[in-house]
Amino acid sequence: MTDTTRTLDLPDMVTGTRNRTRDRLLLIGGFIVVAVFAFFPIYWMLVTSVTPRDQVFSFPPRLLPATITLEYYADFFNNPALLKYLLNSFIVAGSTAVSSVAIGVYAGYSFSKFRYTGRRALMFLILSAQMFPQTLLLITLYLLFAQIGLLNSYWALILSFTSFTLPLCVWMLKGYFDTLPDELIEAAKVDGASQLTIIHRILLPIARPALISTFLFAFIRGWNDFIYALTLGGADHMTLPPGLVLTYMGEFQTSWPNLMASSLIVSLPIVVLYIFMQRYIVAGLSSGAVKG
Amino acid sequence: MSRKLSSLFCLLVVLMMAVGVTTAQEPEEFTFTGWSLNEGLSRDVILGFANTYAETNGVTINPVAFPFNEYLNQVILQANGGQLSGLMQLDVAWMAPMAALGVLKDLGADVPEGVYTDAALASCQVDGVQYGLPWTTASIGMVANQELLTAAGVTELPTTIEEFEAALIALEAYNPEVIPYAGITDVAQLKDIIPWLYTFGGQVFADDGSVALGDEGSIAAVEWYASLLERNLIAADVDRFDARQLFAQGMVGFYDDAIVARSLAAGNKPADLELTVVPLPRPVLNEGDAPQSMLWGHCVGVVDDDKAAAATAFALHLTGTPEIGIAYFEQMSLPPTTIEALASDVVANDAYVSTWSNEVTAFATANPFWGFPESARMETLLGEAVQSVMVGDASAADALADAAEEITDLTQ
Repeated sequence: MTDTTRTLDLPDMVTGTRNRTRDRLLLIGGFIVVAVFAFFPIYWMLVTSVTPRDQVFSFPPRLLPATITLEYYADFFNNPALLKYLLNSFIVAGSTAVSSVAIGVYAGYSFSKFRYTGRRALMFLILSAQMFPQTLLLITLYLLFAQIGLLNSYWALILSFTSFTLPLCVWMLKGYFDTLPDELIEAAKVDGASQLTIIHRILLPIARPALISTFLFAFIRGWNDFIYALTLGGADHMTLPPGLVLTYMGEFQTSWPNLMASSLIVSLPIVVLYIFMQRYIVAGLSSGAVKG
Repeated sequence: MSRKLSSLFCLLVVLMMAVGVTTAQEPEEFTFTGWSLNEGLSRDVILGFANTYAETNGVTINPVAFPFNEYLNQVILQANGGQLSGLMQLDVAWMAPMAALGVLKDLGADVPEGVYTDAALASCQVDGVQYGLPWTTASIGMVANQELLTAAGVTELPTTIEEFEAALIALEAYNPEVIPYAGITDVAQLKDIIPWLYTFGGQVFADDGSVALGDEGSIAAVEWYASLLERNLIAADVDRFDARQLFAQGMVGFYDDAIVARSLAAGNKPADLELTVVPLPRPVLNEGDAPQSMLWGHCVGVVDDDKAAAATAFALHLTGTPEIGIAYFEQMSLPPTTIEALASDVVANDAYVSTWSNEVTAFATANPFWGFPESARMETLLGEAVQSVMVGDASAADALADAAEEITDLTQ
């Protein structure tokens, strides 16, 4: 009996070890595939950005450039127009993010912690704004801003971007406020705190992860937009995405090394923000996701 | 008190007069919209012309630029929003949709006699109305890599379809990695098939204005083009961008492009590659037929508003001054449109430009769809029809008949 058990156990253990090894290899293989899929375009951007122009389209393609140059990175910083576009991007994306979070906090708090007639309808009405194709809204907004004299201004960009980011910001923040216990608010009320004091002194410090993830979402939306920034901003308020296309993509040809170098430079602020705020972003997004 | 009041009144009068004088002396200000105003070398060249004109004539010119690929949409949006003013650069393909907006000034009365060539003027007309001044006029023609052809044993440029096929086969045999003819096969740009339709005797529109796609010639042309793909003499999914880059790498024997093909190849080729770009008239079906090519060029339109007079004056200066045309040609390789500039030594003695002008552009015809505001959709329908034949989904007769039916709907 004992012998029989032993002879049965040994093959099971070997099989189990093999299965675990196979699973691990599959997992690693899967990660490698996903990593290659995700990072190869970035790698190719990097390679193109340091390759001399006449070698960019060399055939057959090379995974490593034969010659490396940093002149396209220098070109970016030596071009005053691009630096102006960069400043515009910070102003527009930053203002969009601040206004989206500022409005979203109060709207999210209201939807989360108060009960009033039409609350649910209003919540879904706000969300429905996300369902319109934004290209259609462009024409309407263009004509509207032209009528009220806001065309070719920062305001045109900030207002339009905020109108797109606000619905999701409100919902993200509402989701986070839902996770905060009502007892916390009740206790503050008992201590005589006003609603504004409750929001500013109690809820906002606790909601920092949600505020950061919401801020970042709105910032990225404002940072990456192309068509609105091109159409509504005008030459003086244009942000980097249309600015780069305008500068490097022509009727006949595109300066790919310049475009890739500049694209990598402009993606850095987003990457840096993610790295430093990763902890808050994950916490902010996941807490809102658990209870909605 | 009354003296004080009188003094104050006099001061006010003087101030008002000063303001009036200042207002009267304010320079005329208008906008110049274009895609070339922010592109590499062309930006410096064109803004140089504009700044010199502004200083000389005491006007202020505000440049506004949009990327080429977004340009038409942006200009149409501006026109619809009442924001478009001054003068603007326009592709010849966009004249009809812009004219349909009703914002362009008829420049017919402003065009001086004997300055521009008739062909150039015609390229900026819609239904006989001069909605633009010609800035550069050429054609989408064929170019070849002389070194590659010689290496493959093709010593003479082909003039007939038969010779052209023989040259393609020789190139394919010389190096299977080479694309013998980087003809457009990407559906978005398959309007390039039109000169081939004409080459085979086909038509897009009949003389009575009805859609003629699906006639014997157009079917033969599309079947022939699809057969090139089957025989690996052209490649799948090639657009103009691919063709240019591959040509500059010495991997293409022939391809279709604007007259700037030479300078594009020079700018993109590896330093150690010998590459002589030669233009050639499109091969014909039978000797003696006219070689086909598609008209290409830029016009300058003027918005019909209170800035129109000043904007028209600058548009005439920019497009009609021979010295500017020659300088633009020297720096941008874009041929001028004035008779005097075209006859200048600089332009006339350039063999590449001379061949292109006399043997390619001379036979160029306008894209037959340009006269319709729905031209882009019509081109797409034709492109999809050709693509469906190339991938074997439909016969040329069926695909073109279907396209003809849909295009007919768009013309009505």
